[in-house]
Amino acid sequence: MSARRTGWGGLGELFRKDRSHTVIFLVLAAALLVASPYLDYYNTTALRDAAIFGLFALSLDYFWGKTGQLSFGHAVFFGVGAYAYALVAPELGGTAGSLAGLGAAVALPVVVAGVIGYFLLFAGIRGDFFTIVTLALGVIAQQLAISWVAVTGGDAGLVGVPPLTLGGFVFYSPTSSLYLALGTLVLLYFVVATLSAGHTGKVLTAIQCNETRARSLGYDTSAELLKALMLSAGIAGFAGALYAATSGIVVPDLVGLLLSTEVIMWVVVGGRGTLVGPVVGTFLVMRFQQEISSVSAALWPLIVGVGFVILVFTAPNGLLPWLGRMGRRLTGRRTS
Amino acid sequence: MSDLIVILLNAATLTSILMLVGLGLAIIFGLMRVLNLAHGEFVAIGAFAMVVAHDAGLGFVGGLMLAMAVGALGGLLLEWGIVRHLYDRPIQAILATWGVSLAFQQLLQLAFGTGARTVPAPIKGAVEIMGTAYPAYRLLLITLALLIFVALAIAMRKTSLGLDLRAVIQNREMAESVGINTARTFSISFAIGSAVAAVAGALVAPLVSILPQIGVNYLANSFFVVIVGGVGSMGGVLAGSAFIGGLDSLIAYQLSPSLSRAIVLLLAIILVRFRPQGLVKP
Repeated sequence: MSARRTGWGGLGELFRKDRSHTVIFLVLAAALLVASPYLDYYNTTALRDAAIFGLFALSLDYFWGKTGQLSFGHAVFFGVGAYAYALVAPELGGTAGSLAGLGAAVALPVVVAGVIGYFLLFAGIRGDFFTIVTLALGVIAQQLAISWVAVTGGDAGLVGVPPLTLGGFVFYSPTSSLYLALGTLVLLYFVVATLSAGHTGKVLTAIQCNETRARSLGYDTSAELLKALMLSAGIAGFAGALYAATSGIVVPDLVGLLLSTEVIMWVVVGGRGTLVGPVVGTFLVMRFQQEISSVSAALWPLIVGVGFVILVFTAPNGLLPWLGRMGRRLTGRRTS
Repeated sequence: MSDLIVILLNAATLTSILMLVGLGLAIIFGLMRVLNLAHGEFVAIGAFAMVVAHDAGLGFVGGLMLAMAVGALGGLLLEWGIVRHLYDRPIQAILATWGVSLAFQQLLQLAFGTGARTVPAPIKGAVEIMGTAYPAYRLLLITLALLIFVALAIAMRKTSLGLDLRAVIQNREMAESVGINTARTFSISFAIGSAVAAVAGALVAPLVSILPQIGVNYLANSFFVVIVGGVGSMGGVLAGSAFIGGLDSLIAYQLSPSLSRAIVLLLAIILVRFRPQGLVKP
């Protein structure tokens, strides 16, 4: 009992029940690591960005996939993290600046999520209303990022964000920042997957299935949802800081509606609630986006839009569950 | 004094527009509980209908008619092709309508280019109200919006479609069991809601720079009009649009428009927090 309650009990559970997902994740990460020395500059940075956005998608999936509440403004947390790092890191400089920047990039989104979540979740705002309110938060954040020029630099954003520096090592080259992004992704994946497989995840699943019943079992469901949102926001903020540190620039688009939409797309493509799926979805969609953009950049929103509609009708649970079903059907045929 | 009159009339203009956009959404969201994220695009489509009508020399009334027709047809197609299959899957409906919204924006951009378009107001000049000159077109807009609102309110009360609609809003299963064709009621209501939004877009066209993305500006605001007012009532739409539109014009007068939009949404969220059922209970 006590082992389960401590959260780390989930690790055993993770390897017993979700073994296939974890294996898929580890194989993919290892493949990327092995391939990375042979990649050119362009593909290395593209892969690094995909790993960072994959972390962002993972954060959304931990909240949306596990609780069923759709946050339509998740880029707010990513963007706040990015701005926080960009503002704090240059103040101190060096390792101290990087650490303080990362700390701010996690703390500020967690605080923002805490305030918003406390305000909304404890008032019983759920479902449609939660989605609309979070969508509005994205609009608000974008307006603020554009109009608060003194802090955010307005439309031009903040440039010259310092790269991450840890104990004299500067994560400046694309390869080193790719390792950094991949390493963080693997680490945080295990944290989130362990939590999901353990007691916390079970409570969240119970809330998603029937919140009234979960409450009658004695769980403070609003508090559980709030904790999930804050953890999710912290990871999103961390991803935002990594993006700021590796790309060197922060612009209002990072808190905007389109990024909020795209992260939803990544989660949906990969498979909501699977944690691995959204990461894989991010890699696939971003790769696809590069191919399309090399033909025409203006075409991308159209494809995202039509893609949403097609996905909803063909693979509403995402590619991973769809592939799993296909796989089972194929192997089923083979044995019969 | 004259400042106050201008602020009040500006608030009335914005309130009228939001009222029409919110009215369409109140019908769609209130009735079917579908978060139609493509609703804002009907405003954009209506505004571009005005541009087309102006280029073709159809005039203002022609533009309104074109907007209404395109809006109704588009709404019908959207409901028939996509939304009706997703009534039982709310999250999928959100994603699909958002996809439609992105696609519409891009198609408008491909058709009309990225630059802003403008259309002239059908009536020029100003009318003097209590010693203050105010653009005549804005007064026309307020009048037309009120007329549409009253017409729809009467239609809700007096026509059999209105009766069906109210019955379905109150209890879908019961309405179905007494023989109301809910599928038909849904598609007609969706078409009406979209047409009203398109008309709002056509009416606002002479006042703004018409961009393919203008729909997004109205989307969040009109959702709050519906929620703040109270889901499922005409009076709620009136109260909600007065709240959002009034505050927005008041704050925009002191601060920048983009800051005022942020503040108004924030205030709306706070209101929803303390009065989730809305200002007017249905």
